[in-house]
Amino acid sequence: MKMKRRDFLPIAGASLVAGYAGLTGAKPKGRWHPESSPVTIIKARSYSEDLASKIREGIETCGLDVRGLKILLKPNLVEFDPATCINTDVAVVAAALEVFRSLGAAEVKIGEGPGHRRDTYAIAEMARYRGEIENFDDIFTDLNRDDVSPIEGFADRGEIYLPNTALRADLIVSLAKMKTHHWAGATLSMKNFFGLVPGSVYGWPKNELHHVGIDKSIVELSRIFRRSFAIVDGITGMEGNGPIQGKPKPAGVLVMGSDLVAVDATCCRIMGLDPQGLQYLRMASDNLGITDSKRIGQRGETISSVRTNFELVKSFQQFRLA
Amino acid sequence: MQNADGGWPYFPGKQSWLEPTAYAALALHGEPEAERAWKLIESWQRPDGGWRPAADVQLPNWTASLCVTIAVARGEFGGAFERGVSWLLESQGVESAFINRAAAKLGWLEADRDLSLTAWPWKPNTSSWVEPTAHALVALKQASAKVSSDELRQRVRMGEAQLLDVRCRDYGWNYGSRAALGVDLPSYPETTALALLGLQGRAELAQSIALATNLTRDKRSPLARAWLRIALRLNGVEPDLPLGPPLRDVVVTALDAIGAGAKLELLRTGALG
Repeated sequence: MKMKRRDFLPIAGASLVAGYAGLTGAKPKGRWHPESSPVTIIKARSYSEDLASKIREGIETCGLDVRGLKILLKPNLVEFDPATCINTDVAVVAAALEVFRSLGAAEVKIGEGPGHRRDTYAIAEMARYRGEIENFDDIFTDLNRDDVSPIEGFADRGEIYLPNTALRADLIVSLAKMKTHHWAGATLSMKNFFGLVPGSVYGWPKNELHHVGIDKSIVELSRIFRRSFAIVDGITGMEGNGPIQGKPKPAGVLVMGSDLVAVDATCCRIMGLDPQGLQYLRMASDNLGITDSKRIGQRGETISSVRTNFELVKSFQQFRLA
Repeated sequence: MQNADGGWPYFPGKQSWLEPTAYAALALHGEPEAERAWKLIESWQRPDGGWRPAADVQLPNWTASLCVTIAVARGEFGGAFERGVSWLLESQGVESAFINRAAAKLGWLEADRDLSLTAWPWKPNTSSWVEPTAHALVALKQASAKVSSDELRQRVRMGEAQLLDVRCRDYGWNYGSRAALGVDLPSYPETTALALLGLQGRAELAQSIALATNLTRDKRSPLARAWLRIALRLNGVEPDLPLGPPLRDVVVTALDAIGAGAKLELLRTGALG
């Protein structure tokens, strides 16, 4: 397979085109704990349903206790798109905000750092966040332009600067969108953490992550932000040439869990995509979480009852589940 | 809104960052606030000539271009200026490194552009993109009044050619490429404006300027409108772009002030002779 532009070799070294196993540096630190890997699938056919009740059910089914925690909701805001196919729908964000507050969280904020469009508040406006979430500007942080702190140990870079709002949170809730991704295969709860990397340091796009390696960066960010929970908006996802130029794909589900690897693997199966076809999930499996369906504590709906094949770009069609 | 250290934050109440400080210093050029800002900017220069984007961030990045532009505006042509220009001349997107050009020639690398054209990245050891290239072109063209070197002229020529090479089919600019996976990418108003800023004075911009004028109808992004106002005015067009309501965003506020007033001239370059 030919390399693409995002794979251009750094002047200083030529290691980035190697797979994870070929890179220097240790595997992600920490081990998987099977008791922490329930994944809940809940049907939701439209954004006008009572999403708060469904999210509450998912959180409770997963056994998450948020009392007293400072929570950061991290939606996926990408583009000026009021049609909600690209961005996490505002209804999901508003419902999650309501539920986490009602469950006794000490603080619930929202933060996002879009990957290539710089005007984050304008994107939030177009995605209807500012209009439909009360006092949005008071609880929202543009993570691209937040104050930052260095964190040691990011791939072969030694350190990475990350926004203080994210570092100070007790729990980061990845409010991801269920989308295909032309480089990574799918963009789900773990890839959503790219929005935690500050553009003020790394630029728009955060090209540093591409040069470290998209898959390795996904794993490294998930390792740093281990205190996390995922709520994937698959009510209407995106198929084909995602994460921006794909087509809307109604999947009618919310997928939730504390093990983001297990959540993403489950989402892949719902999308008709073999999780083993995604390099970042292979790298994270049994290190950060689990991908083996037999070991995931599946709750709510079964995968087979909600599976709907997402159209895949050519390079990932070989990973279509039977 | 200016912090005690002389800098500006991206948003009120936060730490100073170089980017909002630079734009605010340009908007307030000649005022005491800008003098204090320059002292802070000077203190953030690294020994290698690049600049830290904030007090606690050790990595140099694209904001060096803004510092050189401010140095020229102030007539500061001492060591900080010289080291900054040298740093910019050494900075280039990795796609133009020998190994990538060789890989493309051998067919191992599918390049969507002419890799012989060097441009500027957001930070060292990454690829070049429209916005950092545009800022570097402004800085170096302005610096050319004091630094007359073949290297500088060559980098400017190559950077301009690279911007034209990645121009979208509709004559505007996406943030770095004109297509992805064989699909044309849309032009964005802010990056189209920034490319026009970097390419001031070039002859082949009529269609791009026309597109940018059309993009002023897109009212969604105050940042895009601020850059469009600056770019169009510097390219001889007076756009119908009334200023919006005041925002907490220091960058937009400063760019609005630059674009609406005489400080716009601090970003004028014309073509490199």
